[in-house]
Formats: sequence, C-alpha cells, structure tokens
Amino acid sequence: MRAESLRALDSTNWAELIAAVAKSQDRAAFSTLFAYFAPRVKTFMRRSGVSEASADELAQETLLAVWRKAALFDPASAGASSWIFTIARNMRIDALRRELRGSAHETSDIDAEFQVDDSPQPDSNLASAQLETRVRAALAELSEEQMCVVELSFYEEKAHGEIAQILQIPLGTVKSRLRLAMKRLRNVLGESS
Amino acid sequence: MTIRHHPSDELLTAFAAGTLDQGQHVAIATHLVRCSHCRGWMHSVEHVGGKILADLSPTAMSRDAFSRVEARFNEPINAAKPAAISVPTDLDDVAGLPAFMRQYRAGSWKWIAPRVHLRPIRLPHANNTRVFLLKSGPGTKMLEHTHTGVEMTCVLSGSFSHEGGHFGPGDFDLGDQTMDHQVLVDPGEDCICLVAMQGDLRLNGLVGRLVQPFVRM
Repeated sequence: MRAESLRALDSTNWAELIAAVAKSQDRAAFSTLFAYFAPRVKTFMRRSGVSEASADELAQETLLAVWRKAALFDPASAGASSWIFTIARNMRIDALRRELRGSAHETSDIDAEFQVDDSPQPDSNLASAQLETRVRAALAELSEEQMCVVELSFYEEKAHGEIAQILQIPLGTVKSRLRLAMKRLRNVLGESS
Repeated sequence: MTIRHHPSDELLTAFAAGTLDQGQHVAIATHLVRCSHCRGWMHSVEHVGGKILADLSPTAMSRDAFSRVEARFNEPINAAKPAAISVPTDLDDVAGLPAFMRQYRAGSWKWIAPRVHLRPIRLPHANNTRVFLLKSGPGTKMLEHTHTGVEMTCVLSGSFSHEGGHFGPGDFDLGDQTMDHQVLVDPGEDCICLVAMQGDLRLNGLVGRLVQPFVRM
C-alpha cells in the first residue's frame, strides 16, 4: 500500500498542479489534486474522530481552500503535500472548536495561530524539495513501531494516553518510542532543519 | 541573546500536528517567534504530516463531492474570519508576543504578591489551560510553588533562574507536579513571562496560602 502510493506521489508533480491552479485556474489540474488528496484528507479526518458526513465535508472544504489559496502556495518553503496537510490540520482544529463552543460563538484565526515566522524567507537553508526528500528518507529508517506512534501522534489531543490504549502498551513505552523516533528523525535531518 | 531552553521534540510535534490546547499552543508559538531553530523543526514535522497524509489509504468521497466543490469556485469567500481586531488592542504594548495574540482581549494587571503582578489573557478556545502574563520585579524571590498540572513559561523580557538553569528572553520552561520551583528573578529589570497553566498553582507556606485566593482567576 505504502509503496504504491509512493509511486503515485513520485509520478505526479503536485506542486506544478497547484501552480497551474494558481496561474490559470486550471480545472483539470485541480481535479487531479482532488482525486488524490480529498479521499486521503477524508481518511485523516475519520482517524481524528470526525463522523463520516463531517469528514466528507471537511475534505471538500480543504480542497476548496487549495483552490482558493493556490496563489499563496510557495514551493520554495513548503512541499505540496505538507502544504495541504497544514490546510487540513487547520480545518480540523476549526471544526473541533466549533463543535466545542457552538458555531456562532467567537472564532479565532487559526491560520494566523501558526504564523510564527516573522521573515518571509524560510528559516531552513534547505530547499523544501530537499527537506521533503530527507524527511522521507528519515521516516523510512524508523521501525514500524516507531512510525506507528509518530503517525498516531498526529491525530488526537491527549495523544499519548490514547495511543497507549490503542496499542495496548504502557504510557511510558509510547513516550519512549516517540522520543526515540524523534531523535532518529533529528539525526537524519541534521541540525540544518 | 542565545536561546538555551527549548520545548521538547514531542511538544513541538504536537504543536505542528495541531493537537495542543489553544493555551499551550500560544506558549509554544511565543517561543517559536523567537527561535528559528525550533521553527525549522516545526517545518520538518509539517513535512512528516504531509508524508503521512499522502500515504494514507483513501476513503471514498460522496458521489457529488467534486461537483459541490466546483460549484463553490466563484462563491464569494465568506467573512467567517474574526471580525477585524478591535483597535487599539489590549496586547499591543507587550513585546515578544506572536502577532496573532493581538486578536485576544487581556485583563489589567493584578497584584498577586509583593512585586508580582498577573495579567490574564482571554483565549476563546483554551479548554483546560489558563494563559496570563506574569511580571516580577528585579530580585524577586518567587513563592515556592508546585503545580497540579503542566505549566509552560516563555520569557518575554528580563530573566530568572531556578534549579533548572538560567532563563532569558525566548527561553521556554516546562513545570509539572514533579517540580518544586523556587524562582529567583535577576536584578536590573522586571521579568515578564507568558505562562500557560493547566490545573492549579499550589503555593507553599503561610504567605502562599494567604495569596492563594488571588491567584485563582
């Protein structure tokens, strides 16, 4: 499964498709992006505990935001899939907050909450394509168990306790696996990241 | 000034994954605006997120999903954005905060102990975490205290030390139940920190018990 999607990812240049959407509102390019990412964003939402209907809606919202914000995508500072990930992540936070507080209540600007770079230049001296390749290589070096806790830590608040329950391993083991996984990632990514 | 104390990789990962409570999110963001090193790591984690997303197995979308999105291409972008931040904002005068903090309301400074003042920040979506600015006069020896939950501190100006080291602007400190802090503020200037606190602060000793009611917000 993983090898298959990797091939798909390699054979399509998502960044070019996003650029085409930005430049000429290219519907064909958008439909390719939609076909690949919408069903995966939906899985991401489902795993985050969102209902089937809401997950579908949030995946639609995410891809609509890809269409609308395509011009803001900067291939030099983010990879295409990491950019779409950040949009999906922010949609999920927004949905969660609306659920907790009722929709009419106060809203926060979630995009702004992640803007911590004061300079327009990316901090990393690594080009994003290079970083993407390195991240992929680094993840490939993790053991299946380590990858599993890294993946799960993207889904839930109070993640560690729940991961422990899901995997039926002690909380301490979750924490040490995650710590080890992060350490290995750091080593592979180096201090340049 | 060099930043020496950083949030753990796990906390930075939770930040980039978007799973932190808003209060804790703010504390980490306050560190990140000052720390390019941690920003680099945050971007790496976002790449990890992108890779995880791209590798997920697909879940079939509803049949009309694409046409529904297409139908909205030309829809005016609704102004669901927060109403333009009311001006002037409460937190304009506080240096070292992330820009987005200006959208939030802050209370006024309250006296909580000799030479120690606290100013609550009202976050609309913080669940379990209270966020406030804490200002301590130069040379203040803070009341000995322990926590019932996790407490995150990011120094905005001035500096202090405790058993864990010396903390200056941008430095991040994490306290929990296992720690018994005795904080000493450096001489020379006020030390202003942003604090995100879960649970309650327990002050030790008689003076602590006397001021305890004021610390509860």
